Amino acid sequence: MQIQMNEFLFSMILTELEDAVGVENCSTRQIDKVTHSVDYYWLSRMWADRGCHMPEADIVVCPEDATQVSKVLKIANYYKLPVTTWGAGGGTQGGAIPVCGGIILDTKRMNKIYEVNTDAMYIECGTGAIYKHIEWAANEVGKATMHYPSSLCCSTVGGFLAHRGIGVVSTKYGKIDDMVLQMEVVLPNGDIINTCSAPKHAAGPDLNQIFIGSEGTLGIITKAQIRIFDQPEDRRFRGFLFQDMSGAFKAARELLQKFKPSVMRLYDEAETASLIKKIVGVERKGAFMNVAYEGVKEMVDVEEKILLETFAKYGAEDLGSEYGEKWWKEKLTFFYPGHMMDIPQCFGTMDTIAPYGKIEEIYWAMKEAIETNFPQAKFIAHFSHWYEWGAMVYDRFIVDGKDVPQDPVEALRLHQAIWTCGVRAALAHGGVVNDHHGVGIKLGRLMKEQYGPAMQVFENLKKTLDPNGIMNPFKLGL
Amino acid sequence: MIMSEKCKQHVDSCRFCWMCHHICPIGNATGQERNTARARALGISLVNREAMGLEEIMDNIYECCTCGACVHDCTTGWNPVMFTKETRLQAALDGKTPDYIAALVSNCLETGNAYGKTEICSDLAAAVKAHSAKKDTLLLLGVDAKYMVCEQALKAIKVLEKAGVDFTVLDSEPASGAQLDFLIGAANETKEQMVACAKALGEYKTVVVYDPDDAKAIKQTYKEYGIDVAADVVTYTSFVAGLVKDGKLAAKNSGKAVVFQDPYQLARDLEETEEAREVVKAYANLSEMLLNRGETVWAGNILMAQYMPKVINKVAERRIFNATSIGANAIVTVSVAEYASLKAVAKDVEILSLEDLILGE
Repeated sequence: MQIQMNEFLFSMILTELEDAVGVENCSTRQIDKVTHSVDYYWLSRMWADRGCHMPEADIVVCPEDATQVSKVLKIANYYKLPVTTWGAGGGTQGGAIPVCGGIILDTKRMNKIYEVNTDAMYIECGTGAIYKHIEWAANEVGKATMHYPSSLCCSTVGGFLAHRGIGVVSTKYGKIDDMVLQMEVVLPNGDIINTCSAPKHAAGPDLNQIFIGSEGTLGIITKAQIRIFDQPEDRRFRGFLFQDMSGAFKAARELLQKFKPSVMRLYDEAETASLIKKIVGVERKGAFMNVAYEGVKEMVDVEEKILLETFAKYGAEDLGSEYGEKWWKEKLTFFYPGHMMDIPQCFGTMDTIAPYGKIEEIYWAMKEAIETNFPQAKFIAHFSHWYEWGAMVYDRFIVDGKDVPQDPVEALRLHQAIWTCGVRAALAHGGVVNDHHGVGIKLGRLMKEQYGPAMQVFENLKKTLDPNGIMNPFKLGL
Repeated sequence: MIMSEKCKQHVDSCRFCWMCHHICPIGNATGQERNTARARALGISLVNREAMGLEEIMDNIYECCTCGACVHDCTTGWNPVMFTKETRLQAALDGKTPDYIAALVSNCLETGNAYGKTEICSDLAAAVKAHSAKKDTLLLLGVDAKYMVCEQALKAIKVLEKAGVDFTVLDSEPASGAQLDFLIGAANETKEQMVACAKALGEYKTVVVYDPDDAKAIKQTYKEYGIDVAADVVTYTSFVAGLVKDGKLAAKNSGKAVVFQDPYQLARDLEETEEAREVVKAYANLSEMLLNRGETVWAGNILMAQYMPKVINKVAERRIFNATSIGANAIVTVSVAEYASLKAVAKDVEILSLEDLILGE
């Protein structure tokens, strides 16, 4: 039954939610609704830039723990109100936009650090904790989280889990889905569950991995044990210039059969000539690659020798350590206004991943598709997360402000069209709809194209766990 | 809303930037998304685009403590404090200041302090009277110490007495204008108060400013507003550090283990971080807690506690957590406002002023 909302019923529901989380943690103020309607998603930013209102929640609630989350979800289920989970709003896919109104559940009060365990090497925290804060907690005991995305300071633990995030040292330490031991999750019906006490087991499918990446559509992750690592004794950088990307791919693939660097970032010629020139200062034609390797000093010595020998085989010019060190120091600078793309430009990052043998082909296919169909768009890319079997391409399109329609709906059309074109090109050549930003509202329509009949697994999970369809509707294509 | 082009540029840069999300003491304490620089910028930008009313964002504008953590953190130099203060000024000019702020402003204009106080405690009154004679050096206590935490004002006087300093304390101290500047920014009323204060201070050779908030106003904001002070203005902290260094205060290390809370006004605005540490190290064993010196986290104040006391308590509790998480059981502060905020919520940790250490209290 779809309820008919009216002022009386709305007020009744509001008092129930206030009872669940406390009056001061339940808001209908316009500033709270507006603040939670614009995340890092380009369309929400463009919409606000044009002076338009994005879809807003009716009520913003800020629970402090799983018990309060449970109460909120029970109320929402009873009245069949949509619930959209909000971490810090740093997502690029519109995953936290309350497109159907209802309730925004902001997790940031669930920011408690419960335990710093240096035996099993994890921090147990509420998922509303800003990741930088748990990094500080790790640093205080001489450890590190080794999860350093550009959004380290502006995304929550839950946000990274919900969208399967990744950091710049992932090649050695893994993605966020590799960094979790146990999680507490509140199911849509309000039940509070815990996943297994260890992440590797044979007790059936991995519950962690069902909820990681589910973007608030199957439940709300409220607590997590996040891995920490010893600080490396030594971390070294080396910059290289390859004549072209093909040589770089061959070199990187061979290197990864020998050891895992922490950072590997290969920039295409366009990005080498733009962002890398601007921030790091490399003013050369070719494809710049930055490699970091770290750990116990004796092993780093050996890794350095292997790296130099391997890359020399493929004609890489050794640029020394200066550029890499500068990049490490400036790695977040790229993302501040004035350095990063910003309104009035129209832009997007269509990160995708594939095995070797496909990834380079995907890069060229996406580049051709974008540049052919949208000549007003510039296409740049780098490859920054590598595995023994393949790599990720972080490809971006940028349209100058003068070529972006002022009419918000027309601007939306252009943005959607470029995305659809680029991601379809990736899918057609064996790529995945996204690598580490998630799906959100932006790419939901392409999930069925990605999964085909496999999509029914997600759809049936959704129907079973969330029969009223209240959890973050229309995200993930669910 | 009328806003300078410079501020508009900063607003439009910050409205879609999340990079300082982790650093706001208010946002971290409340967990509220609106308590971020980008949320305030977004609200202002929507007002500038006539998509929201100014009155709809003003409560949020007054939830900012203007500590400048976001400014300090920004690699590209965007300044949320600047546009926050300009919005406060514009709201005041448009008659859209929230009532609870307007009441504080009225108090400032009528009594020189936002609390509307006119009487000081009898012990302090006696101490002030004892130093009423005109000397070369003036000790400026400030409104927080004088009216809200008079025991600290007394201790500040006692420390200088102990060092044998000849100084004056004014019965009718001029308001520095710091509170008005916080409440309504660069309004004429603020500048008039500052000009009057500068004139009064100019009667002395040296002015020792006890409250870091006043020190920031007099040493930094006055310059921004083109107001000159003829006197040599020094912070109380650096003045006392000099007394210790010159042997005028005989220091004996008590062995007490302490951490130091840098007031942002000294650490970030005046770049004074080591003077207080020199004094602390002379009297106690100093450790450093997370986020110190220029990266310090504001620990609350008395002015904002007038209209958002629960939040200020949370702010102070979080800062105490930073201290206790490294095993500290005593925090030394040189800001009377932070002293009062920390003291209000401290349970298993001792809150000390620099004067407490020196006087052995």
